Amino acid sequence: MLNEQQLKQLDNIFNPRSIAVVGVTDSKSNVGYSTLEAIVEGGFKGKVYPVHPRHKEILGLPVYASIEDVPGPLDLVVAALNQYASAEIVDICAKRGVKGVILLAGGFKEMGEEGAKLERGMIETAQKWGCMVIGPNCLGFINTPYDLVSVFFPLKIPKGNISIITQSGGAGLTVLNRLLDENIGISKWIGVGNRGSLEFADYLQYLEQDPTTDVIGVLMEATDNAREFVEIARKTVKTKPVVVYKSGKSELAQYAALTHTGTLAGSPRMYEDAFHQYGVIYVRTLLELAAACKALSIAPPAKGDGIGMITHTAGPTIVMVDEISSRGCPVPNLSEEALRRVKELLGTKNSETVILKNPLDLAGVGFEPVAFGKFNDVLCQDPGIDIIIGVFSEHRNWRFPADEMIENLKKHRKPIIACFISKIDGVCEVMEQLHKAGIPVFTNPDEAAWGAAALAQYYRYQKKALSQKD
Amino acid sequence: MSVVNKIIVDAKKESRSVLSEIEAKEVLKDYGIPVIAGILAANEEETVFHAEKMGFPVVLKVVSPQVTHKSDAGGVKLNLKNAAEVKRAHQEIMAKVRESCPEAEIKGILVQPMALSGRELVVGAMQDPLFGPVVMFGLGGIFVEVLKDVAFRLAPINREEARDMIRQIKGYPVLEGVRGEPACDLEAIEEIIVKVSKLIYEQKETISEIDINPLFGYTKGVIAVDARMVLITE
Repeated sequence: MLNEQQLKQLDNIFNPRSIAVVGVTDSKSNVGYSTLEAIVEGGFKGKVYPVHPRHKEILGLPVYASIEDVPGPLDLVVAALNQYASAEIVDICAKRGVKGVILLAGGFKEMGEEGAKLERGMIETAQKWGCMVIGPNCLGFINTPYDLVSVFFPLKIPKGNISIITQSGGAGLTVLNRLLDENIGISKWIGVGNRGSLEFADYLQYLEQDPTTDVIGVLMEATDNAREFVEIARKTVKTKPVVVYKSGKSELAQYAALTHTGTLAGSPRMYEDAFHQYGVIYVRTLLELAAACKALSIAPPAKGDGIGMITHTAGPTIVMVDEISSRGCPVPNLSEEALRRVKELLGTKNSETVILKNPLDLAGVGFEPVAFGKFNDVLCQDPGIDIIIGVFSEHRNWRFPADEMIENLKKHRKPIIACFISKIDGVCEVMEQLHKAGIPVFTNPDEAAWGAAALAQYYRYQKKALSQKD
Repeated sequence: MSVVNKIIVDAKKESRSVLSEIEAKEVLKDYGIPVIAGILAANEEETVFHAEKMGFPVVLKVVSPQVTHKSDAGGVKLNLKNAAEVKRAHQEIMAKVRESCPEAEIKGILVQPMALSGRELVVGAMQDPLFGPVVMFGLGGIFVEVLKDVAFRLAPINREEARDMIRQIKGYPVLEGVRGEPACDLEAIEEIIVKVSKLIYEQKETISEIDINPLFGYTKGVIAVDARMVLITE
């Protein structure tokens, strides 16, 4: 657990006044070059110092021969060097009073005992001098409120309220790109790598009090302080949802052969149960992580966990019922009053083609957007339905019921999720409008269901967290 | 010194890391967990004497620090209905254990009443290297051994969490009663899980593992039939 001073230091690292990039050359294939490019193109407002013993100018910036030559206070250093040079740089930076160092290099504890020894020594030095190491073996971080992209993938990233903590660069970029595809912004993206001086729990603690973060997504392979992580998560969940994807599920096979309580340590089952106990939303795939974060970021909070669906095509809702109920969320029957109103809207003729239940399949009646909106309104008024998913297929002769859904959201303030069966091109226009209004749009029933389930689970977990003492 | 501390200190003095069934049950009893208590008999005469005093049927179990899997070693005899059966069982246990574990030091025979058959449950707990003290619950037999149908919680937990845990396992309908079988006393199970979670949490410096297997669940109440505890060794 970080103390006040350490939290302040971490805040200083995420919002540095100055950054030095060590190991930059003028070659585009150089990782340091890409890092520098990402920082410059990201629009970073503070001072940037490339460091290299021989180069004079890179990307229009004067190059300094060494860290010692850089003038003024230095808050953050990004080292694009091999593991041995990285360890030396940490020593130099720590003694110079640098707040934090991002180490991109691998070759440490993930490579066995020798690398582990190098890493231990390096972290000890950093700790002694009060310097924080991000990584090693990571991509660095992104902090959009401060226009800082320190990862060596120059990216244009819209500002948003989702923050991601990721052990793997590639898996973390998968989720990021998925969000970027739909122009969904993020606040922070943090690569933890080997967790040198900062653990998942520390970053979570920081994000818990970060005013620009409303939703936290975590990609975890392993952590050494799992208990601290869930304990901090419980506190975090009082104000913002925490969604975790934990890899390594195939260990199940290994545990299946054993029967003893003690041998089930650290098993996927235990992680899943601990997350559930402490109010962390546990997701099964990277796509689910992205879908859950997206729904939680865009939609208003749910005031209950009952999920209702309307559609003009039954199949997608059957898929959704499977996904929703396997996550322990209810798909309740519609109230008598809601059924009465549905019948009233259908009239005697159409009543014969519509089965009165949840999911409500309107068949042909549902192709008409205004009618779709009216049925949506009825579901919103049902006290047992807290989250509504509207399924509508793209069609050249019918428009999406986007205006109607927005109207219903404004009127009832219950989360509405649009599941528009379509190519991504087909929903681009309405997606922007709906996302801005607070309605997440998905083009397939799986993701729509995962989004709805995340909203329902967060309702429960937040309620539980708020009822417990710290 | 508390009951628990005394038992632990005694075991450590003898450099034992596994508590005897009698000791483990003493610890459970101290935490308010109902157990089938037994009496240690030093020889054949004492075994018969205690069995008669207790009332039949009884169970005999070998007590030896070296024999941790008593059934495998031929050290358990169930459902003994009279003095003659008890006497024969005592002799058989002694012979079998001496044969299967010649190096075992036999401290005596544990005589205990035969428990009424109930729903087989398992409550376990341990110090997990990542999560610290945790408690586990499941249905016994194939449910835990083959299907791994268990639920974990980080200890300590309250009644509400225990209730959620019991409802989480796939075999939960069995506890509610299926095919005309009566339901188990769910509140009593909750209470035991809460107590075991308190035990493993309070003893996080001393006890590394607890297994209550089986715990019998009845329409009213539950009882720990067998118990095993492992201590933390430095």
